[in-house]
Order: sequence, then structure tokens, then C-alpha cells
Amino acid sequence: MSSVDAVVIGGGVIGCAVAYNLAKAGVSVAIVERDDICAGTSAACDTAIHLQSKSPGLHLRMAQESIKLFPELQKDFDEDIHFKKTGTMIAIQTREQNEVMRVFAERQRNNGLDVVILDRAAAVEKQPMMKGDLVGATYCTADATIHPQFLTKGYFQAAKKYGAKAMLHTNVENIALKDGHVASVITNRGNIQCKYVVNACGAYAPFIGKLTGLDIPIAPRRGQIVVTEPMPKFTHTIVNCARYIAAKFRPDLLGTSEADRMGIGLSLTQTERGNLLIGGTREFVGYDTRTTQKALLYILQHAANILPALKDIHIIRTFAGLRPFTPDGLPILGNVPGIEGFVMAAGHEGDGLALSAITGRLITEIICEKQSAYDFDLTKLSLERYKNLDIKAFEAQYAVYK
Amino acid sequence: MNVMETDIAVIGAGPAGLSAAIQAARSGAKVLLLDENKAPGGQLFKQIHKFFGSKEHHAGVRGFNIGQELLKEVQRLGVTVMLDTVVYGIYEGLALGVVHQDNHYSIKAKRVILATGGQENYMAFPGSALPGVMGAGAAQTMINVHRVLPGNKILMIGSGNVGLIVSYQLMQAGAEVAALVEAMPQIGGYGVHAAKIRRAGVPIHTSHTILRALGEKEVEGAVIARLDQNMRPVAGSERELSVDTICLAVGLNPMTELAWMTGCQFEAVPALGGPIPLHDHNMQTTINGVYVAGDIAGVEEASSAMEEGNLAGIAAAESLGCLRSDEANAQKDIYLNRLMALRTGPFGEKRRLAKEHLLEAMKHASADRVSS
Ligand SMILES: Cc1cc2nc3c(=O)[nH]c(=O)nc-3n(C[C@H](O)[C@H](O)[C@H](O)COP(=O)(O)OP(=O)(O)OC[C@H]3O[C@@H](n4cnc5c(N)ncnc54)[C@H](O)[C@@H]3O)c2cc1C
Ligand SMILES: Cc1cc2nc3c(=O)[nH]c(=O)nc-3n(C[C@H](O)[C@H](O)[C@H](O)COP(=O)(O)OP(=O)(O)OC[C@H]3O[C@@H](n4cnc5c(N)ncnc54)[C@H](O)[C@@H]3O)c2cc1C
Repeated sequence: MSSVDAVVIGGGVIGCAVAYNLAKAGVSVAIVERDDICAGTSAACDTAIHLQSKSPGLHLRMAQESIKLFPELQKDFDEDIHFKKTGTMIAIQTREQNEVMRVFAERQRNNGLDVVILDRAAAVEKQPMMKGDLVGATYCTADATIHPQFLTKGYFQAAKKYGAKAMLHTNVENIALKDGHVASVITNRGNIQCKYVVNACGAYAPFIGKLTGLDIPIAPRRGQIVVTEPMPKFTHTIVNCARYIAAKFRPDLLGTSEADRMGIGLSLTQTERGNLLIGGTREFVGYDTRTTQKALLYILQHAANILPALKDIHIIRTFAGLRPFTPDGLPILGNVPGIEGFVMAAGHEGDGLALSAITGRLITEIICEKQSAYDFDLTKLSLERYKNLDIKAFEAQYAVYK
Repeated sequence: MNVMETDIAVIGAGPAGLSAAIQAARSGAKVLLLDENKAPGGQLFKQIHKFFGSKEHHAGVRGFNIGQELLKEVQRLGVTVMLDTVVYGIYEGLALGVVHQDNHYSIKAKRVILATGGQENYMAFPGSALPGVMGAGAAQTMINVHRVLPGNKILMIGSGNVGLIVSYQLMQAGAEVAALVEAMPQIGGYGVHAAKIRRAGVPIHTSHTILRALGEKEVEGAVIARLDQNMRPVAGSERELSVDTICLAVGLNPMTELAWMTGCQFEAVPALGGPIPLHDHNMQTTINGVYVAGDIAGVEEASSAMEEGNLAGIAAAESLGCLRSDEANAQKDIYLNRLMALRTGPFGEKRRLAKEHLLEAMKHASADRVSS
């Protein structure tokens, strides 16, 4: 039986970021991944490092600290992670949305985020493709884009450079405890003795929790994305719509049509090769990663409504990923009550790329019992914050086991 | 979005799809045949050469004539043929996402037969992204369908039947073929096709490969070299050829994207061109109601594609109750026997074994066969 200080379960962007930081801090660490590196949600997502979509407060502050770290990471990585400050524009389509966004932007400005609201003419001038149905747009220069697979691979390779081990195609089947403390991780390919286990299984984190009797309120929230052929420069910013923000924070503002229930909202980015990624949906359908024809239609209709030039572009592919959703939209990070050495690092919903850098730092501080360089209120991120949540009702409401 | 319904949807109107549509329609099922091209026939319509084999397999008849015969029968039987029609997805409940002449459709089918054929393999070498490097099949389409010569001086990579036949047809169309190169120590395709090339004075360099294409903006030449027993280029054997076009005839792989979308199980079978959807004698995959036929079920040839299409068409119709099982079985026996006959000889034997391997794998898979 092999032995390390910490086993990180899950080789997505979060698990690799955690392993990278631990290894760099001198902790002996092994990543155990049942499939391959970046085979889960981290390979089925968009490319945004989004600040504008964050609720002012802890969430926004974490993202602001996180985004600062990527240029440093790039220097330590062999892989080009395509980190680029692009800014975001959020298309506003109704007066009602305008009001919501005005208030939202003001609170963000108070938190140090540079967001302005442009009227229609100014928005179209800044983003000529946005000639469709809109009354205005927000503009924020702070947002960036990144390549999700290269980012994950970058963390992974650098982790190995600092001595991390990797067991791929290895399924974690159980976790052995001794006197209330993590003792070893049991896999289909042998056991690993360890003092710490980090649950970085994204939408699958509840299954790892169950192994030790923990209830973890994370539900898969499906997002579908359409990929186009490579295009010459189509957009210089990320483009979202106010519905995207509403679908996230104010579902009450959405209607009850089929498209509304699927959480249709625009997210559009352009990759370095020129492909457009057009999203998306926010659906609770269990662990189903198939795409649907209806979503494709609604996504494209909505997108072309805002950016009419999309009508003449070819679609080459569609895919769906499962966001690890939590009830309050914040990830679950840190120690858990009752099991020494079991550390959570999951539940980043639609922000896993953006928050990966800060998550790696925080988890390493916790495991190394170091004074935090940040003044975040970690109780707001702990699993314990959900101690009064009715897990059965949660699972039923969000179709966790469907 | 327009919504349509049918008993059986056949995707791809090549020899496999046309044959499947004919059998299904004969039994009285309502059949829809869809193809992305403006003319039906798949690969057949660019095959101006005479086919091999027995009378049942239209030996001596030229490929495009076989296509026309099949098409006439399809039309006589009243199959609805939708051309200029791309099937871009298969969704839950066998609903096809379809774009037909710029209009969007959802087509709900009780049974789906995937007869999407194969696509050419690509090969990377320095300069392989230059204009002037193309698939041999693409060159064949240009000369035989669009009547455009892709270049004047051609280097053909690969001496299988595709490489041999397309080389000959390029010469017939007025191009000069500088040489064929073949990595293996022997010619890949049939002797008769190779003989035509050699009689015309074109060298076939076995145990050779291309090292790189020359040229800045487009192909201006190529460097070839001899290979040793370990398939490594022999130093000093490099030779420069002055050509403006390099055709790749390095095999086909099955076009399986739609099959993947249905969630059916696959098995990688190199002898058949790549990952192949598992299927039984009825050509049904591990998803109930989803059938495959032709190159998608393993790259072979038009003759076997037709027989597999016949089987799939009969089986799909039978499963809908359009044929009694004794009638269906009697007919299926005919086509199974013809397939057996096709899969003999030095070329057929390898494919027969590969197909048997697939059937065996299917037996183990069918225990957990899922329905869509
Ligand atoms: C459509 C869509 C768009 C998105 N866009 C963005 C965006 O623009 N910006 C952004 O920041 N975020 C975005 N996200 C969110 C982001 O993708 C996720 O938050 C992030 O990928 C989660 O990473 P993870 O490492 O937690 O999970 P995953 O990448 O899913 O990794 C978890 C891993 O755990 C493994 N695993 C599970 N069980 C076991 C086991 N028993 N044993 C071993 N291994 C196991 C899985 O195989 C998997 O590889 C988007 C998500 C979606 C779906
Ligand atoms: C140069 C050459 C010479 C050959 N010579 C011979 C020979 O002498 N004898 C012989 O027996 N065989 C020969 N073959 C092989 C034979 O052509 C193929 O094996 C046969 O055509 C396969 O038939 P198929 O119906 O499976 O596919 P195809 O003929 O490839 O037809 C598939 C059709 O499906 C369409 N399609 C695919 N995807 C979609 C979609 N999503 N939506 C709509 N339509 C779609 C395609 O456009 C195509 O029209 C030759 C092949 C080549 C390239």
C-alpha cells in the first residue's frame, strides 16, 4: 500500500489546482481520477473568468483575488493557458432588466469593480455585432477568458513538476477512517494511506460524501453549449445578457415559458482559433450530459436576437456539462464536522475556472494550518453552514439522483 | 420548426441507404430517405469504373449505373427522398434534428437506419496543410462529379484500390500522375487496377513514404524516401518530385458521429477502419430501433454495403410488424449468404473475422441493451 500526506479525489480544474498548490507547498500528494485529467465538467464548459456575474460580497472578492493569480500561474506553467483580459458586455433587453442591472452594477462599483452602463447607441458602437434587440449594455473591463483544458493541464503538469503523483483511470470506492480521522482511500486499483483527503469531485462530490456518511448539498445543473466554425474576429469581449444574470440570481424575474424553465441566457466567447462558444442553459435534469434539440434552438434564437450576424455562421458541435450547484451559489470549501482530515473543495457551479486559483490557495492554507493571506469568512464556505438544510428535500427538488 | 413523422428514417443515400430504403418500402413501411448531397448515390455516383464480383453484385456494371438502378427502384416504391438535407443530431425518442434546404425540421422516426458511410483518413507531414494536398476521394469528386481537374502533376499516397482507381481516373481526366508511393512492401489493391497504372508507365514505389511537401503558398513538389523493415526512412534515399498536387489515399474511417449521439456501444476494430457501433445479424445496434449498414458498420465496399442495407431494411420493417418473421428470415438468409460469399479470399477473410469479432462482442453487450 502506498502512502502520501494528501489524496485529492478528482482530476478536474479544482482537483488539479489543489494538488498543484499542495505539492508546491511541499505536501506529498496524489491525484486519484476515475477517468482522465479534465474529463468531467472542466472539459465541458465556457472560457470566462467572470467578475461581473458575481454577487457583490464574498463571492466577488474571491473572484477578484483569484483573477490576480493567473499571470503568476502562467509563468510557472509550461502550458499556454490563453489568459486574456477581454472585458464583458451584458446585453440589456428590457426596462425591467435595465433597472436590475443598474442596481447590480452600482453595488459592484462600490466593491471596486469597474462597471458602466451604456445606452443602445454606445453599446453598438463598442460592440458592432450587437445590433439586435437591446436597450443597452453594461461594460466591465476586468473580466478575462482562459482555455479550460489547458488551464487544467497546466495545473496538473506543474503539480507533477513539484512531485505530485497521479493515479488515472482509478475509481475511489471507499474511504477508511480510524478514530474519526481519515486513514486511507480505497480504490479499484489499491489503497493509499493518507492523512487528508480532498473531495474535488465537482457535481459528483455527494457520492464521495456518502462514503463517509456526509450529506453534501451539491446538484448537477446542466449547461448546453453550441460551437461554431472558426470565424475572423467576431467579438473582442465576452457577451452575456441580463437574463443570464437573472437566471443565476433572480429566477423570479424569468417567465414560465419552456425557454425560461430551461434557464436560457446568452454567454458568448471566442476562442483563439476563432470558434464561438454560444451558451447556454441552466437545467436540473440529474446526471444527464446529453444535448437537446430544443435547447439548441432556444440558445441560437436568443443569441441571434442580440447578435443578428450569428444567423449566417455554421454550427459544428454541441456539448453539455454539469455545473456543481449549491443552494447559495458559493462553493463548499474546507474541513467538515466530525471527520478529521476530510476536506471539501467542490460546488463551484459556473465559476470553477475563475475560482480555481484561489481555491487551490485556500485549501493549501487549511491543510498546512497556515495563517490565511486572505480575510475571507470561511464559515460562509464551510459544509457546516448547511447543517439545518433538509437534504432529502434538496435532492428531490434538484433531481440529484434522477 | 417543422415536425414530421415516419416509420423508418434512413440517413445517407449511398448504396447501403438506398438498399435499406428499398427493402423497407417493399414491405409497406413508410420510409424517409435523407442525404446531405443534391444527388443521391453516395460514393457510387463518382465511380465511373466497372464493378467486380458476381452478377448479384452488379459485376461489370459501372458504379454510377448501379446507383441509378437503385434510385429508380426507390422512386418506383414511393420512398420520400429528401436531398440537400443534413441530419445534425439524434435526440431522445429517436427525434432527428434536420436542416433541409435551409429549413429546420424535427423528424420523429420509429426506426432509424444509419447509412452515413465513411470519410477519408488524413495523414500529417510537414507541408500537409498546404493547398494542393487533398483526399483522393475529394479529387475523384472533383473530376467525376464537378468535372474540374484538381492539378496537373499528381503524387498519390497509398496503393489500395482507392489510390489505384483514382490515379487511373485522374489520368483519364488529363492529369499526369508522377508516382504512387506505398509504405508496405506490396501493392495494397487488386492486381488488375495496379496493372492499368503500370501499363501507363506510372511507377508504384512500394516501401516508400512521403517525407514532406515543398512550397510556400501551395504544393510545388514533394520529397519521398524509402522505408526500412522497421518503417523508418532510409538516409540518403530521399528523392524530390516536381508535383502540384498530393492525393492521400490512406484509408477510410466510419462516419459515426450520429451513432455516438444515440449512446450505442462501440468496439475499436482496426481492420474495419476504427471504432464501429456493435451490431447483430439484423444490423441493429445496442440501442433498440437504431440500425447501421454500409461503411459506418465497418469500411468494406459498395457490394457489401448493399447487402447490409438489405438486411437492415428487412429487419427494421420486421420489427414494425410489416413482415412476418418467417418471411423476413427467408429473405435475410439470402443476403447473409451473399455477404458470406463477399467476405472470402485474401481481402475478404480479414473483414469476415473482424465482423465475427463484432458479432461476438455484441452478444455480451446485448444483455444490457438499452432502449432509447
Ligand atoms: C456549460 C458550462 C459553462 C461553464 N462556464 C464556465 C466559465 O465560463 N467560467 C468558469 O469559471 N466556470 C464555468 N463553468 C463551471 C466550471 O466548468 C466548473 O465549475 C468546474 O469545471 C468544476 O470543476 P471540478 O474540478 O470541481 O469538477 P470536474 O471537472 O467535474 O472534476 C471532477 C472530477 O472528479 C472525478 N470523479 C468523480 N467521482 C470520482 C471517483 N469516485 N473517483 C475518482 N474520481 C472521481 C470525475 O471523473 C471528474 O473528472 C461552466 C460549466 C458549464 C457546465
Ligand atoms: C475511389 C473508390 C473506389 C471504390 N470502388 C469500389 C468498387 O469497385 N467496388 C465496391 O464494391 N466498392 C468500391 N468502393 C467502396 C464503396 O464506394 C463504399 O464502400 C460504399 O459507397 C459505401 O456505401 P455506404 O452507403 O455505406 O456509404 P456512402 O456511399 O459513402 O454514402 C453515404 C451517404 O450518406 C450521406 N451522409 C452522411 N452523413 C450524413 C448526414 N448526417 N446527413 C445526411 N446525409 C449524410 C453522405 O453524404 C453519403 O451520400 C470504392 C470507394 C472509393 C472511394
